[in-house]
Amino acid sequence: MSVTIQLDRRPEPVCGMNSWVPVPARILKIHPENFNTKTFTLEFVDEYLRSAYRFVPGQFNMIYVPGLGEAAISISSNPEEPSQLDHTIRLVGTVTRALGRMKEGSVVGLRGAFGNGWPMEKLKGRDLLIMAGGIGLAPLRPVIYWLRNHRGYCGRVILLYGCRTPEDRLYAQELEEWEKERRVDVLVTVDNATAAWTGPVGGVVNLMRRVKVNAERTTVLVCGPRMLNRVAAWGFLQAHVPQSQVYLSLERNMNCGFGRCGHCQYGSKFVCRDGPVFRFDEIADLFGKEEI
Amino acid sequence: MANGVNNGHGKHILEHGGLQDLIDTLRGKGYTVIAPVLREGVVRLGPVKGIEDISHGIHDEQGPGTYKVVEEEGALMFDYAAALDSAKPFLFPPVQRLYQLHVEGERFVLDEGPPMTQKLAFLGLRPCDVAGMKVLDRVFGIDDSRKMRCEEENYYEQTRRDGLVIVVNCNRPGGTCFCVSMGTGPEALEGFDLALTELRTGFLVSVGSERGEQIVKELPVRSPTASEIELAELKMARARDRMGRKLDMQGVREVLERSIEHPHWDEVAKRCLSCGSCTMVCPACFCSTVSDSTVLDEETVERDRLWASCFSHQFSYTTAGPVRNSIRGRYRHWLRHKLCTFFDQFGCSGCVGCGRCITWCPVGIDITQEATTIQNSEAGSRKEAQG
Repeated sequence: MSVTIQLDRRPEPVCGMNSWVPVPARILKIHPENFNTKTFTLEFVDEYLRSAYRFVPGQFNMIYVPGLGEAAISISSNPEEPSQLDHTIRLVGTVTRALGRMKEGSVVGLRGAFGNGWPMEKLKGRDLLIMAGGIGLAPLRPVIYWLRNHRGYCGRVILLYGCRTPEDRLYAQELEEWEKERRVDVLVTVDNATAAWTGPVGGVVNLMRRVKVNAERTTVLVCGPRMLNRVAAWGFLQAHVPQSQVYLSLERNMNCGFGRCGHCQYGSKFVCRDGPVFRFDEIADLFGKEEI
Repeated sequence: MANGVNNGHGKHILEHGGLQDLIDTLRGKGYTVIAPVLREGVVRLGPVKGIEDISHGIHDEQGPGTYKVVEEEGALMFDYAAALDSAKPFLFPPVQRLYQLHVEGERFVLDEGPPMTQKLAFLGLRPCDVAGMKVLDRVFGIDDSRKMRCEEENYYEQTRRDGLVIVVNCNRPGGTCFCVSMGTGPEALEGFDLALTELRTGFLVSVGSERGEQIVKELPVRSPTASEIELAELKMARARDRMGRKLDMQGVREVLERSIEHPHWDEVAKRCLSCGSCTMVCPACFCSTVSDSTVLDEETVERDRLWASCFSHQFSYTTAGPVRNSIRGRYRHWLRHKLCTFFDQFGCSGCVGCGRCITWCPVGIDITQEATTIQNSEAGSRKEAQG
């Protein structure tokens, strides 16, 4: 079922009896993406929540494995179909490894959606350059879904995506579909190619040389590992994209999701509440500094 | 003083013995009375039933990394400075049960929610502790109208709203106190139901709320004399002059804002053990970690919230490693949070000047000194640049 979302308003998050109680959600589908990453499609057990829940692209949920804990995971599915929620998860921590052992039909907990998403309402009529590294594509996938459903909302849309090997690509089949559709210009690069790989090899930042950026018309969305964020942001600024048109999604340790537990502090910002998406000029004084 | 009588309006004298009446009245109204108690040679806060439970006949000696309780004949009842505890552990417990639930098919069945709150009457909190509570009020957003259901802190809010605050103004500030610099003491000006200033002849009681007024009505109070009021003022003036430490807050926020790469952080990092004591005793530190566990039957799970410290490695841990890997980074985060970024987050200082972090630091690191060093060095380098 398709719903209309309000791009400029953060929807009220869902929780159980109080702010710390997750609500049950069942795993509808588990789709392996690569050797350590799987996409879990979840739906609320409660019917009302399934119809009432909303999120905007770039927000995240706290996924809960009873008895083990929670992990902050971006929502990766179509924001206009919020009754089923994709979460692409690298199975590398206590909670996420436990998720990895779960089967379709199992029940997990969920609180959310938390955080500030991508500035969708400000993208109207802009050219869009999306740069993602590794699992950083996950929080950007809702943006692409949205743009596919809203033809003409943005001008040219370019997706630059880098990962380690061709096998590591997330949403490999979809990437090919998007490429065929030509609504989004997709360029994928890998650090280490295999014999079958015909695409570019090297860091995703190198792809910037292959595309022409109109600095006046372009808004940049970046999500990747720390170093990618850093090199990308500086690269775009060097290409004369204004600071106010570069957006980054950051990663931090998170416990609560609403700016209470203190773990995700980044200077005066709570990444969970004030981010995870930041406009570069909001964090320019801290950006690139170590151990903030 | 000509206007002494006017100053005395709404003020009362409760003689020392009357403190027992106060405790009885509070207990009669269903409050658990929390007051300073001497435990293992340290003034803590804990439940009291009578006046004899409250630590008395002592004063304390506090300095960087040192704390000592000294018996003193003829000392006033509250002749010591900040206790080890602030009100924080009572409002925001160090270990707090969030729930116990069991998974039943596709449902989470709550067996146990957060614990019931108690009606607490804090007797003998210090003005800095009251300021600390007001900081936590902002952190937990109890007066924030934009707060959503998923951000509520019911336990804190309920305990705070039900709680009664009877503050005792500080006659005898400790060696690590700097409440005057932070504008939080030695005399409480707001945020209390009753404020007591201790004199030889009894307590000068100021009423700060309707609830406070109701309690005073049940106490054997008399009107203060003009000289008692004057004496109380004098004591406060003297306390202001006897602060153990000071911190020039003028401009410190701006200086810290731009001092991310200051060399002094390396210097502090050599001394700091990163033990987190400062964050545990701080009345305004609010960080926490949620801890999940399983009961043996595997279907039943528990969730607790524990105080966390930004001085631990795991505090900022992500799969890419801890964000703040060095002690330099962690101390810098803490100090800048207290005196700089807290203003942006909550519109107030994250430090109330109680001095606990100085006293209870095992190596005596002094927040006032570290901040001042950075302030001065910047002033110095600016002078050099101009010179």
